[in-house]
Amino acid sequence: MAFIGKGVPAQNSAALVAGAGLYTGDVKLDRMTHAHVVRSPYAAARILSIDASAALALPGVVAVITGDDLRAKGYAMPVEGFGEGVKPKPFDLYPLAVDRVRFAGEGVAAVIAEDPYTAKQASLLVDVEYEDTDPVVDAERGLAPDSPLVEPDWGSNVLFEARMTSGNAAQIIADAAHTVGGELHHHRYTGAAMEPRAYVGDYDPYRKTLTFWASTQCPHPMRTLLGQTLHLPENNIRVIQPNVGGAFGLKIPYFQEEALIAALSLACGRPVRWIAERREDLLTGGHAREGHFRWQAAYEPDGHVTALKVRYVADVGAPSALAGWGQCYVTGFALPTCYKIRDTDVEVIAVTTNKCAWNAYRGFGKESSSWLMDRVMDAVAQETRLDRTAVRLRNFIQPDEFPYAQNGGAIIDSGDYPKALKRVLEMIDYANFPTLQATARAQGRYIGLGLGQELTPEGCSIAGTARFNGWDGATVRIGPSGEVTVLTGVTSPGTGNETALAQIAADQLGIDLQYVKVIQGDTSICPYGLGNFSSRGVIMGGSAVHIAAGELREKLFKVAGRLLEVSPGDLECEDGKIMLKGAPFRYVDTRDVVTKIYSDCHGAAACGVEPGLEATRYFRHENVYHQPETQGRYSAYPSWANQATALIAEIDPDTGVIKILRYCAVHDSGKIINPLTAEGNVHGGTAQGIGGALYEHLVYDDYGQLTTTTFMDYTLPTAMEIPHIELEHQETLSPFSPLGAKGVGESGITSPLGALCGAVEDALREFDVRIDRLPLSPERVWRAIQSQGGRT
Amino acid sequence: MIAGEFEFFAPPTLADALRLLHEHGSGCKLLAGGMTLVPVMTLGLAQPGAVVSLNHLQGLDGIEDIGHALRLGAMTRHATVGQHPLVLQHAPLLAAAARGIGDVQVRHRGTLGGSLAHAEPAADYLCATATLGARYLLQKQGSERWLGAAEFFVDVMTTALEPDELLTAVEIPKQAAGAGYSHLSLRRVEGAFPIVLASAQIAPGYAQARVGLGGVGPRPVVLDVGDVVQGGLTPAALDALGARAYDAAQQALSDLNGSGDYRREMARVYARRALAAAAAQLPTGGR
Repeated sequence: MAFIGKGVPAQNSAALVAGAGLYTGDVKLDRMTHAHVVRSPYAAARILSIDASAALALPGVVAVITGDDLRAKGYAMPVEGFGEGVKPKPFDLYPLAVDRVRFAGEGVAAVIAEDPYTAKQASLLVDVEYEDTDPVVDAERGLAPDSPLVEPDWGSNVLFEARMTSGNAAQIIADAAHTVGGELHHHRYTGAAMEPRAYVGDYDPYRKTLTFWASTQCPHPMRTLLGQTLHLPENNIRVIQPNVGGAFGLKIPYFQEEALIAALSLACGRPVRWIAERREDLLTGGHAREGHFRWQAAYEPDGHVTALKVRYVADVGAPSALAGWGQCYVTGFALPTCYKIRDTDVEVIAVTTNKCAWNAYRGFGKESSSWLMDRVMDAVAQETRLDRTAVRLRNFIQPDEFPYAQNGGAIIDSGDYPKALKRVLEMIDYANFPTLQATARAQGRYIGLGLGQELTPEGCSIAGTARFNGWDGATVRIGPSGEVTVLTGVTSPGTGNETALAQIAADQLGIDLQYVKVIQGDTSICPYGLGNFSSRGVIMGGSAVHIAAGELREKLFKVAGRLLEVSPGDLECEDGKIMLKGAPFRYVDTRDVVTKIYSDCHGAAACGVEPGLEATRYFRHENVYHQPETQGRYSAYPSWANQATALIAEIDPDTGVIKILRYCAVHDSGKIINPLTAEGNVHGGTAQGIGGALYEHLVYDDYGQLTTTTFMDYTLPTAMEIPHIELEHQETLSPFSPLGAKGVGESGITSPLGALCGAVEDALREFDVRIDRLPLSPERVWRAIQSQGGRT
Repeated sequence: MIAGEFEFFAPPTLADALRLLHEHGSGCKLLAGGMTLVPVMTLGLAQPGAVVSLNHLQGLDGIEDIGHALRLGAMTRHATVGQHPLVLQHAPLLAAAARGIGDVQVRHRGTLGGSLAHAEPAADYLCATATLGARYLLQKQGSERWLGAAEFFVDVMTTALEPDELLTAVEIPKQAAGAGYSHLSLRRVEGAFPIVLASAQIAPGYAQARVGLGGVGPRPVVLDVGDVVQGGLTPAALDALGARAYDAAQQALSDLNGSGDYRREMARVYARRALAAAAAQLPTGGR
């Protein structure tokens, strides 16, 4: 029985659903202390003095540590940026603010105490004297010559900028008979994991070892970073990732608190535990998205888009050791997404501001590229009076053009965009929608249909960094009883990739899934790997498991061939048996072959075969290009999942409230290993996409204060707001991965943005409403209607 | 997590609770369901020296039929209010309001008295009880008084309760047989605080009609609109009602969920909708 393609329930679901998951917060150690971070109330300020005497006088307080203490120890945090060529301007960074604070909520001191209540109470007694300065709270204003500077040494607030041009877009647009353009504003929001960030550091001063439990996505890279910060040999550090209650990219290192909690344990020689409160996580746990596009396109009357020019100014928050600001680079890189527009001119400007830094958030900038292209296609359709689907179909990269060299340098591996779009139109009965719409209108109802076409580059493989690269490792072990253990360098944020890896191993070895156990998230056990980000669990981790298990299979076949007196090349395996192809009655139990190797290595069947059944193999994705001088391109993204979405929404014209009536999607991430967990991923992504488009908004005031620090203010959608998702998979295999699989971890989050904007405009066509700004709050939609004269 | 120490009391009787209130006055906070107090203490916005829990008091959480009205104990949880047969029969508007508060967990912890005493302008109970013409029982050591909504609700999160007074019960006049009612809210997402609320109650034959609005000013607004709808729910009547609601919402506040202007417009929309929904329940279907 083959397990790949079967929707088997995730192996750890039962424990998680039963509340038996073990999280970082469940780690309880002897002599454990508790940390609380003293945070800046100002967005920008100089730290004049810190007086901890009152805090230290409180019984139960162990120590108070400041940024100066950490600077004296030389605990500077490495800032790698986003790899070669995509780096921020240089700045100093410590686990706590030194000399000045750069965003409201930045840590300035940390209290260690015998219990968490005392730690928090003492934190209120730490007296910090500040001199506040004018903050930068808006990216566009931050670019003005007279703006205050977040990093005075930089001379401007530009953290990074890039220009990506292909062909001659500016000239074509200047000469074109038909052009259209506009602006588009994406607001600031973020993923909100149920489990906030949590760390336990345990430094043993006698053995000089640090054990670090972390709600993280990347244990091995975290180990490397902690070693560099704290001047510890990496093999003296063990990072353990217990169960993680949601991550979405936001738990990719390197947070100041990660270095801080480890440093605090070194400072006091005792275990230190820290769990973010919700307010702290919303304030400092990484934000995403906020940016402004100005775009212009040239087109022909048949809807053919001939050139596109984009200027994207992103508000990436304070400089940090997080790689999140790299999202704006990826937004530019991914353009013009799934369309064949040869002439493009894309300018990306990352502006630093006195706000929480961006961290990676599901979509990682690609959601903005696809959203922009949906808006461009809808605008061209509006101008040409062509059907919106016709314009998309006219401009798609065609199925026979893959692998396709996209303008940014990427080789898009595979896809069939027209097929997916046509199928989703069937699902939603597009042909009949005008009738449905007219009938509703006659009843006084306003319904509209919107299209979202998402393209999700995945498997991020950046040159010059071991944090985000195109490889990962796996060890596959068969024990003497025939059971299989898979150790992997990729981790699971709770999405079930361990089950997919087990399915891959089970199929490669022809044994039942119940005998396969996957271990991940422990640097002292697992092979060095980069963890979980950019939808890479199956692409990188699964491929590594596939080839490592393949190596063991060869060994098993060699011994089985001798037992069956046939050539190993004529064997196959299934259901715990190794059998002759075409003659399944000639078989040997796989377990008996394992026994021969373990118990009889000098016997006739196994002699000459190396004892042991363990293979460690590393997979490198070959659709990555890091040698532009010889390869003619630089591309960090090997795998390109895509989705066509169509939704129908109803708008209440009196209130501006949007209700999604139907949501249909055709998703294509190549070979699907586990349809059940894949669907779970798409459902989650869809909910976050709808949340971002309609409900979620991190709002800063003019002083740089975040005003949305609880879930009463930061409104996440509930089950009541998320529609039933009608989802189909299309499998257009990638030629570059052994199983033809692409990633699924970020699928679904993108298309609600474009589809909802399109649906609102379609529903309100008689008011000629144009949507160029998110979120689509009731008041924003209502005002858009009012600005066009309102309902009569 | 709550920082800072405080004294904690869990009095077994109302007399004990009133005595503690008398002793501590404004230095103590009352803990009912904790749906507001616990978050504000976690955020450090309230740091009381003493907390008096009402969760161990006997007899403060019943629902009683006293003839012309229902009497609800202040500690009655939203889930009970929303499902109780007496409330469903005699004050279905209140039951509908209770069922829309927060989420399942909130409805099983949060209390009628806690919500009313906190007096957040966009809370469902303020609008609903004011519309129903409720009376509120305020008790302290040695005395008690009944107030109507107009006296009880003073300002944003401010009531007539003295520091040593406890809201112990609410009396809701029974809805007349054959009356229509509705309770509508506009929220960002399920469980969020409403942006605007509207409750409506219409007596059979339009003898009386009342629309309450919440979230459109510091206190709930109740409009007697019997005169407007005397001739039935004509378009002109609804327009007049909307205009009255718009005028009544002059003090609507702006926040992250909506500007004051938007709230005023929504007061107009929701007043109309609430009355129309209530009228639709009349035997004549509102005609």
